[in-house]
Amino acid sequence: MSPRRLSIRARLTAAFVAALAVVLALAGLFVYLRTGSELSGAIDDGLEVRAADLAALVAAGGPDSQELTGTLFEGEEGFSEILTTDGRVVASTLGDGAGTALDPATLAQATQGAARLDGVEVPGLDGDARILAEPANSPGGDTFVVVAGASTGDRGEALAGIAGAFLVGAPLALALAGMLGYLLATRALAPVESLRRRADAITLERSGERLPLPEAEDELHRLAETLNAMLDRIEASLERERVFVADASHELRTPLAILRAELELARRPERTPDELRAALASASEEVDRLSRLAEDLLVIARADQGRLPIKREPVALSELLTRVSRRFAQRARDAGRTISIEAEPGARANVDVIRVEQALGNLIDNALRHGAGEVRLTASRRDGLVRIEVSDGGPGFAAGFDAEAFERFSRADEGRTGGGAGLGLAIVKAIADAHGGRASVVRPDGTGATVRVELPLDGTATEPHEGQSARASVPRR
Amino acid sequence: MRILVVEDEEKMAGLIRRGLREEGMAVDVAGRGEDALWMAGSTEFDAIILDLMLPGIDGFETCRRLRDDGVWAPILMLTARDAVEDRVAGLDHGADDYLLKPFSFAELLARLRALVRRGRGERPAVLEVGDLRLDPATHRVSRDGTEISLSAKEFALLEVFMRHPGEAISRFQLLEHAWDYDYENRSNVVDVYVRYLREKIDRPFGTKSIETVRGVGYRLRKDE
Repeated sequence: MSPRRLSIRARLTAAFVAALAVVLALAGLFVYLRTGSELSGAIDDGLEVRAADLAALVAAGGPDSQELTGTLFEGEEGFSEILTTDGRVVASTLGDGAGTALDPATLAQATQGAARLDGVEVPGLDGDARILAEPANSPGGDTFVVVAGASTGDRGEALAGIAGAFLVGAPLALALAGMLGYLLATRALAPVESLRRRADAITLERSGERLPLPEAEDELHRLAETLNAMLDRIEASLERERVFVADASHELRTPLAILRAELELARRPERTPDELRAALASASEEVDRLSRLAEDLLVIARADQGRLPIKREPVALSELLTRVSRRFAQRARDAGRTISIEAEPGARANVDVIRVEQALGNLIDNALRHGAGEVRLTASRRDGLVRIEVSDGGPGFAAGFDAEAFERFSRADEGRTGGGAGLGLAIVKAIADAHGGRASVVRPDGTGATVRVELPLDGTATEPHEGQSARASVPRR
Repeated sequence: MRILVVEDEEKMAGLIRRGLREEGMAVDVAGRGEDALWMAGSTEFDAIILDLMLPGIDGFETCRRLRDDGVWAPILMLTARDAVEDRVAGLDHGADDYLLKPFSFAELLARLRALVRRGRGERPAVLEVGDLRLDPATHRVSRDGTEISLSAKEFALLEVFMRHPGEAISRFQLLEHAWDYDYENRSNVVDVYVRYLREKIDRPFGTKSIETVRGVGYRLRKDE
């Protein structure tokens, strides 16, 4: 199993044990080296004292093997020698004929000053020896070399003891630490597991289910809060989707139901030609309603994906308003209403004429349908924006409704009685957004509804026409 | 047969009226839930066709209020809303049937006939006996507003009692309605569960609503 596939608990424990192993090894090495150097220091001190004693002996009266053996008997733990500068043994505690423990090079060095050797094998001594050799002058003016040696066996044993203790103790300590670490990690991760189990049980079909917040204000608390906030957002967007689908299916099914009922009734026997004609007229009305709805839904779906294509072309504002109002002239006359136009003379804008006409058409349709009195169209330029307003003298938007007026399928009247599907203003907003502009409800001091659409005068600066795909990456509300 | 059509879409309402009248039914149309309430209150309709999306109070609420007002005419919900939650909510609010738009007249008529056949006895969505209240849809039981928690079997048993208030019900009848064939040990299970029920719905409230009828079985007292 690769390390990535191990559980966090196992990885934490492994890392913990590895770190501890390094620390233990370093500490052990330090103690080992330090103890070794301390012990060597103590041996050296002893050697110096003894070398000084030997030198004093030489200085006092010349070397005498007998005296040496009597006063400086070292036994197995050490030895002393006095040599001439050419290496002849004058006196030695190692016994007669044992020769010197010094090699010629060290001897040559020792005639000049203090020389040290370590790890020398000396016959009759317990273990290797550490040696200090120094020159000493006799009263007669001759130079001798005094040699003090000490067995390093004790030091070796002490160090071996330390190493042994570490080799046995460290694995035990590591095993114990590993177990403790694993238990601790398990304890620390238990809330994660409980969060996981709870999250696993959450389905978005039952709304309102959330992760429990751990009591401590710790990292897991924050994680749970973050996840809950994410669930909130997902649920809200699912809810919007659900409402949209429910509304869309209602809007699609109602004309279909009427169509079907109309056709079914028309097929009943003994229908007069007039009845059949009326049924056909009604059916084609519903087909119109369905195709308008399909168109509107397409515009909205494309706007949702940020792909509502905008083909800008320069147009005079007065011409734009005149063209749209002409389409509604007959309907306004039939309803005994008037449409007035007020456009800034000579002003031009660079917009998608067809889309803007569609938006204005929706606004005039609303004004004729829900408003009263004269429908006023105004267009002017201000701060690089073209501002188009459609207002009427009716009751205006219900209080609180202007906020949601631009939502899909929103209508001031919940019952969806008559009229459009409630997509008109949503499309106005989609078209304004696609131009990089905005649509809003203006609440004047007087009565009546005024909807304002503001679009950038010249799209090239603020919203290049190819910029549509870039819009898709902008996070949406 | 007299039918009330509650539908706010005028064209739809007109078509339903025409289609039903041609079948010889008498049809009245209400455009709003409020209108439906007073029309159904003053005239005894044989069936009510109810749209869900209505201006003012919606179809669910209209349905609930009709039942609260003691209107037991069969209600058929005719709506474009097809989500499972909507259908469940419609039926649990007291509707007897649910038909999706677009519909065929043949099916609408067949369903209406079936509904009318079933008669118009009281079919409350929420059962109430005295201050005891049981909602089969939400599985909630309360007495005098205090929520009571029952096991599934206790709930089933209480539901049998509450559907026949004041009637003596034999142990066998209780067994038949609350237990299935898979249940082997039939000896005294009813007595055991009646005891559990009394512990939960009577003792804490100091009432004795479930009475023992000697030689027969049990009875849920009606007059409380």
